[in-house]
Amino acid sequence: MMQRRPVCAIEDLPPGSMKLVQAGKFGVGVYNIEGAVYAIANYCSHEGAPLCAGYVVGTNEYAPEMPDQLRRVREGRIARCPWHNWEFDITTGVNLADPQKRVRTYEVDVSDGQVYLTA
Amino acid sequence: MIIDANVQPHFRYNAEIRKFLGPAHKLRSIPDVEQQWYQAPGGDYRQDLYGNGYPGSDPDTVASHLFTDGGASHAILNPLTRGNIADYLLNSRICAAVNDWLLTRWLEPDDSGRFLGTIRVNPEDVKGAVAEIERLAGHPKMVQVGVPLQSREPYGKPMFEPIWETAAAHNLPVAVHINGGNGVDHAPTFAGHAYTYPGYAAFMPLNSFVHLATLIIEGTFGRIPGLRFVFADGGYDILTPLIWRLDTFWMSMRDQTPWVDRYPSEYLRDHVRFCSSAFDGPTDAALAERWLDFSDKADLLMYGSGYPHWSTSAPDDVTAGLNAEQREKVLWRNASDLYSVTEGSLT
Repeated sequence: MMQRRPVCAIEDLPPGSMKLVQAGKFGVGVYNIEGAVYAIANYCSHEGAPLCAGYVVGTNEYAPEMPDQLRRVREGRIARCPWHNWEFDITTGVNLADPQKRVRTYEVDVSDGQVYLTA
Repeated sequence: MIIDANVQPHFRYNAEIRKFLGPAHKLRSIPDVEQQWYQAPGGDYRQDLYGNGYPGSDPDTVASHLFTDGGASHAILNPLTRGNIADYLLNSRICAAVNDWLLTRWLEPDDSGRFLGTIRVNPEDVKGAVAEIERLAGHPKMVQVGVPLQSREPYGKPMFEPIWETAAAHNLPVAVHINGGNGVDHAPTFAGHAYTYPGYAAFMPLNSFVHLATLIIEGTFGRIPGLRFVFADGGYDILTPLIWRLDTFWMSMRDQTPWVDRYPSEYLRDHVRFCSSAFDGPTDAALAERWLDFSDKADLLMYGSGYPHWSTSAPDDVTAGLNAEQREKVLWRNASDLYSVTEGSLT
């Protein structure tokens, strides 16, 4: 049964941080990315690893004009699974290699300085 | 209909190549076509074909074996050269001599249009290889470019790319085949030297997969959409587990090579074909149909007899256990699509 539940005050979830909430079967990670809040299941779609325990990083795009042919993009938006390094965009839950392999996202909102998760 | 996508025509005798070399190279030492090590016990070629000249050296005899007896309508001739000679400029002249011989002795006298040819080039001389493709790509009977399986760098490395670009620009697939001769090569396996011929012959096609992996991962196929590689020594049966592994690693480390914008296995259909070999496939033919379905290999495999190699394989042996659709693709449809050959098309 989905319910809207308080997570914490927004001051306690500054940009670049994550709070793991006991919700659902595996927990839900609530992220503040540059002032906007997002939530994904703490469960990698590959083999069920605790996804939110991994690094939050950017990713590389193909940039043929660069000396290393790489451009760093989406800094702070990518969750990397701690087991096998799969990349997920936290804002959409979509896997960067294979868009069919998603992780679940949840609704989050901020009201009167309080972060709420619907999970 | 049957297209034989892998036939090795031979000179009548090793020194015959000198007739096709310019005066500057006529007196250079050139290895024979037989490899120094790892020859098959009893010789690399079918015992019954020795006689007047080397096996596979007389066009009329070859035509009678492949077309009259074997039922093929076309044969793609892919001659051997003499190995990765340290003098890479000499090696390019050897390739050109082989090409001139193929045209003079095999392709031009053949009014039936059933023999098609390969432009042999030396990847260790990139400029020379590009020039050789440019010299002969316009010939209507030259349908692919040929390079050795033996290489001291994998073919996905950037120094080779001008060769592949040129081949693709002329719509010519690149066939990779174990070469003859004796060159300055690495050990035949990654771990070193095989003990006897079976260890060599069974596992040599593994080298194809190093070329293949680098062509995918280093982005060659992505940058050259029209580039197609044919791995002519077989090994299609070990493709599936190896490409599974590559797919798995790509999921984890995609960000290191973001130019690979799809699963590595998704490049196969557009860019890769295999010729059959006598060593390929499950030892139990009852498993062949299912195994060919993994990785959609029925779309990748072309019948190649390997004639006149001792392991020459007949169409029925190659397709044992396959269903009718798979059989049709393997025996002619895949080769017909790749080489734009249809019955009577080049007569």
